[in-house]
Amino acid sequence: MAKQKKEEAIAPEENINTLPVPATNGNTVAEQSKAQEVVKEENVHLIVFKLGDEHYAIKIDQVKEVTLTPIITRMPRTPDFVQGVANIRGDIIAIVDLEKRFNIRPAAVTEGLNPNVTYTLVIEAKDYSIGVVVKEVPQSLNLSMSRIDRAPSFLQDTNIKENYIEGIAKVDNRLIIVLDMLRILSSDEIKQLTGK
Amino acid sequence: MKSREQEYKEIFIAEALEYYDSLNRHISELEKQPQDDRILAEIFRLLHNLKANAKAIGYLQISDISHKLETAFSLIRNKELNFSDEVVTVLFDGIDMLGDLITNVDNPVPVEPDPVLLRNLDIIVDSLSDSAIELAKIQKYSSSKNLSLSDLIYIQIKKLDHMLNLVGELIIDRDRIISLSRELNNDDLKVVSSHLYRITEELQYSVMDARLVNIGTLFNKFPRIVRDIASAEQKDIYLKIIGQDIQIDRNILQIITDSLLHLVRNAITHGIELPKEREKANKPRAGSLVLSARNERDNVIIKLEDDGRGIDLKQVRKTAVRNKLVAPDIAEDLPDSEVLSFLFEPGFSTAKEVTEFSGRGVGLDVVKNAIDSIGGRLHIDSISGEGTTFAMQLPTSIAVKGALLFEVDSIFYAIPLIHTEQVIALDKDELHEVGDVMVADLKGETVTVVYLNELLNADEATINLGDKTRLQGQIQNIVVVSYNNRKLGLIVDKLYRQQDIVVKPLNKPLDKIDLYGGVTLLGTGKVCLVLDVPAITRYFIHRR
Repeated sequence: MAKQKKEEAIAPEENINTLPVPATNGNTVAEQSKAQEVVKEENVHLIVFKLGDEHYAIKIDQVKEVTLTPIITRMPRTPDFVQGVANIRGDIIAIVDLEKRFNIRPAAVTEGLNPNVTYTLVIEAKDYSIGVVVKEVPQSLNLSMSRIDRAPSFLQDTNIKENYIEGIAKVDNRLIIVLDMLRILSSDEIKQLTGK
Repeated sequence: MKSREQEYKEIFIAEALEYYDSLNRHISELEKQPQDDRILAEIFRLLHNLKANAKAIGYLQISDISHKLETAFSLIRNKELNFSDEVVTVLFDGIDMLGDLITNVDNPVPVEPDPVLLRNLDIIVDSLSDSAIELAKIQKYSSSKNLSLSDLIYIQIKKLDHMLNLVGELIIDRDRIISLSRELNNDDLKVVSSHLYRITEELQYSVMDARLVNIGTLFNKFPRIVRDIASAEQKDIYLKIIGQDIQIDRNILQIITDSLLHLVRNAITHGIELPKEREKANKPRAGSLVLSARNERDNVIIKLEDDGRGIDLKQVRKTAVRNKLVAPDIAEDLPDSEVLSFLFEPGFSTAKEVTEFSGRGVGLDVVKNAIDSIGGRLHIDSISGEGTTFAMQLPTSIAVKGALLFEVDSIFYAIPLIHTEQVIALDKDELHEVGDVMVADLKGETVTVVYLNELLNADEATINLGDKTRLQGQIQNIVVVSYNNRKLGLIVDKLYRQQDIVVKPLNKPLDKIDLYGGVTLLGTGKVCLVLDVPAITRYFIHRR
């Protein structure tokens, strides 16, 4: 029954292909893309999701799968942004909340969206996986590399460390912040967890 | 089950056959290149090992012939005997004879070595280069040899690790299937799943069994080590080893190897006194060191006892106070067992007085950590002037552990049984608020009791471990755990059964959170957190 909800939640938009939340490794993601207008230029395939009111994106090769968020077991005495651990296909992985991690104000609950249904992007780093929870269905986006501004000047003013951000893409009227998840999960950042 | 003796015998035969094969290969090579000293040295080594092994297990004929061949080769090496055709034939015959004896070790009708061959061997060894004496022809009985492969194989421990992990996964899935079959109430499914249960259980024990090694493989290294340390320290040590036959998981043995070495070294350098001092104290000149192993339920207890000077508790108290581990007034009243536990505090080792006077504490925290890491326990006992005993309680296997399941604030937790002392239900009125903790009287022993929900879930700013009003309900279920000679009662919300669990280590980045030793999946598919008792005790102490 959860599947139906997924379909409903998808809001197709120009230039952004909806992502029919694949149950397994992003095969369906790869199938998509009728992006014929972008030719011969080097393309980048992104998974776009919302944190707070803004759009963020991760390169698809860093995403192992997108799934409905499974039951999360809270782990007491871990940092705020660690929601807990969940059993995803027999692997027990940490689930984190990037809104909490970066102090992003959560968006007001959108009407028609069940706040109890969230999605988890399973991010694959070198030797482990981690889950990132998002509230709306992540979407897939194909665009040419040249449309990502790699060094926007505002970066030094934000509290998201600059090397977490690969660049900024402007698609239509939207600003999409492209994150480098592997950097976010790098060992420096993990030390946060052991701060206690 | 096969007897230990039978197993030794099989290992001997397998190794001996391997030696036999190598000998054949090398002597054939040597025939072609008689000048090659390396081949000669290798043959020498093989014969020597074979001789020693055969002698140790009591196959005197094998060791005898090996010895004769060894002598012959040593003559060849010293150029006192020519590697001539005649000699070569005798040597080949000798090696064939060895092979024959080895393969027939188990034969109820014992094979006797050919007396002619024995005489020939004696001739080439004794007569040196005098070839005048006739070498008698012997019957070639080995021309129609059967080719056979060894019954034993070597396997990388990594492969066994992988198998054990897979078995762990299988057990988790099995439990899930059993729980589902109960829910679905399908008879066929129930039958299949109960069969699956038996098979996986047998598989689990088989894999665990394949990983077992004799503790002797480690213990037998100590006579030499002890001798070396003792002679460097100018001490007289009598080492007694007990229980070499006890079996334990190879990886666990590997992990405690350094710790045991450390403890032995400590015992000799610091524990046992110089012979003169011992005589003054009316002790025998030679210090006694007993290294023993025995089984206790599912665990293995390794003990190291010395009859040295023991640990100076006064000094330990002083150092603990100076290192601010405990307040001076409290230190005086602490029971000895708790005082000894200070020795495992990191950094305690650097305290000079301790190393000078009582001599313990050097890196004991490292030993402690190694044992904690495999879910074992370390216990220390010492009587001033009489000696010190270290006891390691180790699980026989790493992957599967007996654990106690319970619930706190709707989250499932497990604590390995190796750390639990007892489970008890007490009325709220039997808990007393003392200072900022709660205590209870358990069979005459006053034990600190902590409400786990408060310790784990309360806001860190307003946490209050001494407030009884935060408890829910009248009857409190308490799991008494013990770590580092110290008991601690943990109040849980709901107590469940005892169960064998497969602990999965936490993946990065959570592996750095030491409060949890890992996780396990319950039959229901739910995640259960495995509490690390050492860490929870430390967290509690730190909190206070």
